[in-house]
Amino acid sequence: MAKPTVILVGADKGGVGKTTVARTLLDYFVAHQVPTRAFDTEAPRGTLKRFHPDLTEIVDVTQVADQMKIFDTLANSNATVTVIDVRAGLLSPTLKSLTEIGFLDSAKKGQINFAVFHILGPSIASLNEIAETAETVGDANYFLVKNFINNTSFFEWDPATYSSYFNRIKGAQDITVAKLNEMACEQVEVAGTPFVSFVANKGPNGEAANYSFVLRGYVRHWLGNVWSEFDRVKLMDLVGSDTGTQSAAAS
Amino acid sequence: MSLRSFVTIVASPRPHVGRTLLARMLVDYHLNGERKVAAFDLNARDAALAAFQPKHAIYSDIGEIKGQMALFDALVADDGVYRVVDLGPDAFEKFFLVAQDIRFTDEARSRGVAPVILYPITPDTASVDAYAALARLFPQATLVPVHNEMLGPAQHRDKFPPHGKGAALLHVPLLAPGLRRVIEQRPFSFIETSGSAAADVPLDAHIEIQRWLRKLYLEFRELELRVLMADLQGSIQR
Repeated sequence: MAKPTVILVGADKGGVGKTTVARTLLDYFVAHQVPTRAFDTEAPRGTLKRFHPDLTEIVDVTQVADQMKIFDTLANSNATVTVIDVRAGLLSPTLKSLTEIGFLDSAKKGQINFAVFHILGPSIASLNEIAETAETVGDANYFLVKNFINNTSFFEWDPATYSSYFNRIKGAQDITVAKLNEMACEQVEVAGTPFVSFVANKGPNGEAANYSFVLRGYVRHWLGNVWSEFDRVKLMDLVGSDTGTQSAAAS
Repeated sequence: MSLRSFVTIVASPRPHVGRTLLARMLVDYHLNGERKVAAFDLNARDAALAAFQPKHAIYSDIGEIKGQMALFDALVADDGVYRVVDLGPDAFEKFFLVAQDIRFTDEARSRGVAPVILYPITPDTASVDAYAALARLFPQATLVPVHNEMLGPAQHRDKFPPHGKGAALLHVPLLAPGLRRVIEQRPFSFIETSGSAAADVPLDAHIEIQRWLRKLYLEFRELELRVLMADLQGSIQR
C-alpha cells in the first residue's frame, strides 16, 4: 500500500485562487485513479466542498477534534492522498500546529509524504510570505504556485526581485497556473462541478448539461496546461502511486 | 457518428484571392439544394459576404470571448444547418488559434458536422506555410486546396497537397471579366433573385453565369460526396 500523502494548499492572502488550485489537484488525482479525499477548512459553509462533495469534508483546522479527524486517520483511510484546502491566512499557523503535533517529524522520518502548495499573490507582501512559510515547511516538498488570475507578471520582468524571492528556498519548485478566461471561470463556478465534469458537459449529479462548447474548450485547454505542470514536477512520483498512467489531461 | 451537415470555412491569409466569391457560391449552392444555411463573415474591413447575402450572412467579431461563443457554439450545433464561414486575413490567425485551443474540429465531427476548410492557393511563402500549419494542427478537418482559375494557372499546386477525408483539389472555373462585374453588385444571390441585383441581369449574361455556376456546383457536390463516402468507409472499417 502506498504511503499516505498530505498536500496542504494554502496562502496567507485571500483571493489568490487557492481553492481553484485545490480543485485542479483533486481532478488530477481522480483522473489518475488515485484514491483521494479532501478537507475544506472554510468552516462552516465550505468552498471546496461545493465542487467535490463526495470527496470533501468541512473541518475547522483550529479545533483539536478536527485535527484528529484529519491526521489520526491518515494511516487507515482508504485515500492515498489527502488534500487540505487551508483557509486564507492560516497557512503559517497551520504549519506551526503540524510542527507541534509531530506531523512534520513523521514526514521527516519518511512515514508520510508531505507537500505544501503555497499559492502566491502578485504583491511583494505575498512574496514576503515565502520566507516566513519556508521556516516552518522544513523538509516538505514545497511548491510555489504562481496563479495568474490576472495579468500579473510576478516580477519576472525584474530578475533581481524575482530571484530574491523565488530562489531563496532551496529545493522549492515553481508551478505556473495560467490565467483562465473570466467568463469560463464564472461558468464553472455557476455550474458548481469539478473542472473535468464541466469539460465533459456534465452537471453536478452527472447528468447531461448544456454548457458552451467554447467555454468547455477553454477550460479543457487550461486544465491540460495545469496538469502538465503537475507532470513536470513529478507529482505522481511524490504520491508514490503505482497506477503508472499518463495524465488524462481532460481528454 | 454519421455526418448530417457541413461547416465550411473558406479561409486565406491573403486578400483578393476569390474567397468571398467562393463563400457566396457555397451559400447559394446550399440554398439551391433547399438546405438551411447560415453564413458568418469575419472580415472587419468590408464584411462583403454579409452585404452580398444579407438574409443568410452576418458579420461576426471573434475578438472577445462572447463573439467566439456566438460563432463556435453555432458552428458545432447539430441542427442540420449548413454553415459557411468567410475567413480572411483579419481574423485568420485568431480563428484558428481559438479553434485549436477548443478542439473545434474534433467536436464538430463528434456531433456529425463535417469540418471542411477551402483554401484558395497562392504561391507566396506565407500561404504555403499557413496551409502546412493547418494540415498539421487540424487532422480531423478536410483541407481542400482551391485553384481559382481567375488568378491564373496553378503551377504551385504541389505545395498544397489535399489533407483529410475526401479532400482533393477544387477548381473555381474562369468567369469572363464582364460577367464578374455583373455578379459583384450587392446584394446578389443567384438563387434568391428577388431583391437582389441578379433580378436585372440580361438574359445572355444570365445564361453564361448559370453555366459557370453549374460547373462550380458540380465541384461542391463531388467534394461532399467524397467526404461522405470517406466517412462511410471509415465507419464500415471500424
